Amino acid sequence: MKRILFLFLLIVLPLGKDIAWAAQNHGVSVNLLDDDYLDENSYQQGSISDPLEPLNRVFFQFNDKFYFWVLKPVNEGYSAVVSPDIRQCFGNFFNNLASPISFLNNVLQGRFKDAWTVVSRFFINTTLGVYGFGDPATTEFNITSKPADFGQTLGVWGIGEGIYICLPIFGPSSVRDSIGLTADFATHPTNYMNWNFTERSAYYMGNRINSMSLAPNVYEELIKYSLDPYIAARQAFHEYRQEKINKHKNTEE
Amino acid sequence: MKTIKYTLLFVGLMLFLVAPAVPAAVTKGPIETMKPVLADLTKLLNDQQLHGDAHKEERRKKIMSTIKSGFDFQEMCKRVLGRTWRDINKAQREHFTELMTKLLENAYIGKLEDYHYKSIEYVDQIIQGDRAQVTTLVNKDDVKLPVHYILQLTPKGWMVYDINIEGVSLVRNYMEQFRSILRTDSFDGLIKIIENKNRTFEKTSKGS
Repeated sequence: MKRILFLFLLIVLPLGKDIAWAAQNHGVSVNLLDDDYLDENSYQQGSISDPLEPLNRVFFQFNDKFYFWVLKPVNEGYSAVVSPDIRQCFGNFFNNLASPISFLNNVLQGRFKDAWTVVSRFFINTTLGVYGFGDPATTEFNITSKPADFGQTLGVWGIGEGIYICLPIFGPSSVRDSIGLTADFATHPTNYMNWNFTERSAYYMGNRINSMSLAPNVYEELIKYSLDPYIAARQAFHEYRQEKINKHKNTEE
Repeated sequence: MKTIKYTLLFVGLMLFLVAPAVPAAVTKGPIETMKPVLADLTKLLNDQQLHGDAHKEERRKKIMSTIKSGFDFQEMCKRVLGRTWRDINKAQREHFTELMTKLLENAYIGKLEDYHYKSIEYVDQIIQGDRAQVTTLVNKDDVKLPVHYILQLTPKGWMVYDINIEGVSLVRNYMEQFRSILRTDSFDGLIKIIENKNRTFEKTSKGS
């Protein structure tokens, strides 16, 4: 009996195939193989519903003109006058001021460790970083940022994205993300500073232009690589947002 | 006597179990397949003798040849067209694959040449049947960008057919665009659109 068991184990154990090994986790582990989009049946889940496509395409065209006629020239002028270091400082300031939004949404998503990281970063950057213009939390302490927004929170809670909406000025969005955007604006500290609409718009635009000057030419590259930029933007937006949600749905603390 | 018998049986069994594993080990795993391809690519991109417009054609030829050794463009095209792939004949498939490869070369290789990354780190590998995912971290200016490669096991070994960055899949992005185009245009219409796009690239590169 013992011998039979011994021989049985000898045969069964080494036949374990398809062993998945995960090396050190850099926080990048994700399994993309579960969704094989060659299967026509699983196809629909890979894209976002877009019944308003004709209207969305009009807004997309508007955003295109807005980019080339307004955003790009202002960005070029701004980048020429203000050095990258200073623009990075402004970027740090804007991100730091938006900390309450990240904190709130990290908590709502159950990411308490990340929420604490947001608090730590806020204190370090506001004090050592001189009101948030510096980012010693990242450069000196290697405490990287943990962004979170309300659209992502709704997704983590299991709420579907709804239909695609290409918002004028704000760009690609969905029903869920538009609600998220509204909530984020409502929870932003500038909301409580008694600023009027013009001042708040100026703050938003300033932040937008500054971020644009620091990031690569995402929109122009999208046009360069795609045959239908509207669809390319829509699909990229959908997948990018989905990834932000999936990343935190699977790693519940 | 009995001990010798069982020892021989044990040894025999072990040999029997090890033998089938040897051919399996000869087929390189996904990471082992990708490493030399990406190493060669990095070497080509950093080769000072190939830099500049004068060497562009030679450089592109070498880069594309290296990429083709690890990247299965036909599999990629099959997935990008979806159902339509089944409706077209062999000649059309070959023509489409040729055009699509050219489009990707025009769109991305220039960008790759300018993206001076320092190194590539391999961090994860998942195998599910005949498909695999390799996760790498591309190191540039101390920022590590996670890039996921999706591979399929073919008779030639593991070959990449998709690249995924921040959740955005290269193949699925083009698949969506083509699906939209094919709703209003025929397959020949799509071919014309890709040909025009390639022509635009050639014009801009000649002008610069």
